[in-house]
Amino acid sequence: MKRNDLNRTSFIDWFLGNDGAISFAVVILGFIFGTIIVLLVGKNPINMYKSLLYSMIGRARSNGGWNFRYIGETLNYSIPFVLCGFAMAFAYRVGLFNVGGEGQYIMGMTAAQTVALLLPPFPGQWVVCLLAAIMAGAIWGGIVGLLKARFKVSEVVATIMLNYIALYLSRLICLQHPGATTYNTAALPATSKLAKFLIPSSNLNIGFFFMLAAVFIYWFVMEKTKAGFAFRATGYNQDAARCSGIPVVRSISVSMAVAGAFAGLAGALVLLGGAYPKGRIIVSMDNYGFNGMAVALVGNCRAIGTLLAGLLFGVMKQSQSLMQDMDIPKEITYIIQGLIVVFIALRAGLQLVREYRAKRIVASKVASV
Amino acid sequence: MKKTLVVLLVLAMAFSAFAQAQTEAKTSDKPTVRLLTDATGIDDKSFNAAAWRGIVDFYGETVANPASKGKLYDVVTASSSDMYIPNLKNAADAGYDLIVVTGFTWADALIEVAPQYPDQKFMIVDVNWCSQPNVLEYIYTEEQGSYLVGLAAALQAKADGIANPKFGFIGGVPSSTITKFEIGYIMGIKSVFPNAEILDFYANDWGKPELAKAQAKNWYDNGVYCIFSAAGGTGNGTIAQAKEYRMAGKNVWAIGVDSDQYADGIYDGTKSAVLTSMLKLVENSTIDGLSKVAAGTFKGGVIEMSMEMGGVGYSKANPELKAEVITAVDAASADVISGKITVYKTYKEALAAGAAPAGLGALDD
Repeated sequence: MKRNDLNRTSFIDWFLGNDGAISFAVVILGFIFGTIIVLLVGKNPINMYKSLLYSMIGRARSNGGWNFRYIGETLNYSIPFVLCGFAMAFAYRVGLFNVGGEGQYIMGMTAAQTVALLLPPFPGQWVVCLLAAIMAGAIWGGIVGLLKARFKVSEVVATIMLNYIALYLSRLICLQHPGATTYNTAALPATSKLAKFLIPSSNLNIGFFFMLAAVFIYWFVMEKTKAGFAFRATGYNQDAARCSGIPVVRSISVSMAVAGAFAGLAGALVLLGGAYPKGRIIVSMDNYGFNGMAVALVGNCRAIGTLLAGLLFGVMKQSQSLMQDMDIPKEITYIIQGLIVVFIALRAGLQLVREYRAKRIVASKVASV
Repeated sequence: MKKTLVVLLVLAMAFSAFAQAQTEAKTSDKPTVRLLTDATGIDDKSFNAAAWRGIVDFYGETVANPASKGKLYDVVTASSSDMYIPNLKNAADAGYDLIVVTGFTWADALIEVAPQYPDQKFMIVDVNWCSQPNVLEYIYTEEQGSYLVGLAAALQAKADGIANPKFGFIGGVPSSTITKFEIGYIMGIKSVFPNAEILDFYANDWGKPELAKAQAKNWYDNGVYCIFSAAGGTGNGTIAQAKEYRMAGKNVWAIGVDSDQYADGIYDGTKSAVLTSMLKLVENSTIDGLSKVAAGTFKGGVIEMSMEMGGVGYSKANPELKAEVITAVDAASADVISGKITVYKTYKEALAAGAAPAGLGALDD
């Protein structure tokens, strides 16, 4: 009996102490509430799960056969989600809240498009496009990092403002591109497009490997290097970090630049990944940058967590089309995403519960002595 | 190892359960159709709504009760533009008899996808440059309909005894299509008031009514009599503002676009702030396209839906639109059809003919 009690205590404590388990539970909770909402509006939730499953495993609805293109689209959609997730996560681990993923994404896309359209086509042009995008994103994020580190400008306010500046600056730049009309430009040269792989009928392209590389780089830098330690230490406690000789100013500006680089790369991969035959003149934001914040929070700002969360968001995006096919409003995916983020915010509350339990256990131990 | 096996087994079972519900026989010999829209969806009260209405009408059902939705026809909304190509392919893979897309933002994606599915029939509204053997393209003579509403607004102002009325135009994203609306509207006004002051504003967005509302408030405060918005969902802001001001007793009007937006402007139960609407009967395109598929006469190419073909017109729903105005506008409509009145399609032509003032936001391709 006594032993049993102890075990149960330890499971709850394990759960409360394990961020991965909480994230998983939160996602499940989001889906449970989503299911209830689907039921409330009188639709069949099985269809919702079917479309999610079909997007994951590539099963066609119409003829009962397979359609592996779905998998390709799903994986392709998840690329920007994961990368923009890192744009949030990298800054978050350093104690910054990067709301500017969207602006950094736009600047990356704009830079890539500029390189693609203004340089004469040459083999391997896409590499230059990606590098330009990474640079542009890094600069756009780095500006905020510098402002924050040097002048204590709130990074939240600065990034929000820069999102809008990026949107309209991008329009200004793209309207000067060759063949610019009011909503598109000349065709993107084939040398700037990313090669497709595995499922050529879908938009899945080699950008996927860049995304995987980003996962590894993020994990390695954050968890395994001295610089990563400095980043995390800055995030835990700036003053303590400064006192221990960690260059806090540099940590903050570099982390924002790296965060921006991830988002910038995402912008280039979306543009060159096959979804756009011609260059873009955006009229509104794609929202990958904003969704990246949710991805990072669900993934607890860890490398694998963000990857899994990004894949989940990718599945939901591809399944929107299949859901509408089966008479489920696509908005349910947003509701589920929103619920997940809301529940994630409860994590702080769980932390309190955990502390309370720890105190009580100590108290009971003291009493029993 | 055992655990892995169990998990695999459970997955396989779950999968087979999903796999069973696959028997959905198409019992009717009517064609199946899917409408693909941009992020605004079929609730935009204008363009997509009209295409959807046409589809529903074709099957003899109503928008309020689309009984065969999901069986014969359905709609898929893309939440961002990188979903256009995948959504087109998803629809083509699902084997619909016809796939309908609306608006020029879809053109690039359609040109990319159509050759990959040579047996799939597509139709697009508002585009005439796809040139694919399996794409039927519909364009409208919006300038003709816009001419009529501009004329109606000007005649109404004259009948109200307003000496020097000003007029406004609010566009969505500038393009050669929206330019046709603006030029027609201006020419309609200028046929009555050759020296009328005309203001224009482009919101650069189809879904931001707040921008149109702020601009409309500004203009109405500065003595603008009537505003025509050709801006999709953005234009609903103009109507909202006109409604507020008419309720407060000001004599200002909004003009609806694409669909008859009379009902959107209703205030006090019986009156509407929407004087008239430029009707672009997109529903006639989807009906026409579906009829062609049903009759087996579908062929790629461009069809121009002119006023003569019932493609465009104006709404007489508002009882406050004076009878003498309606008479005059109907006469002008006959003149447009007979060719007595030519309405320009581009800003360049209109400028050259002195029919439009310089410095407008309108763009030609």
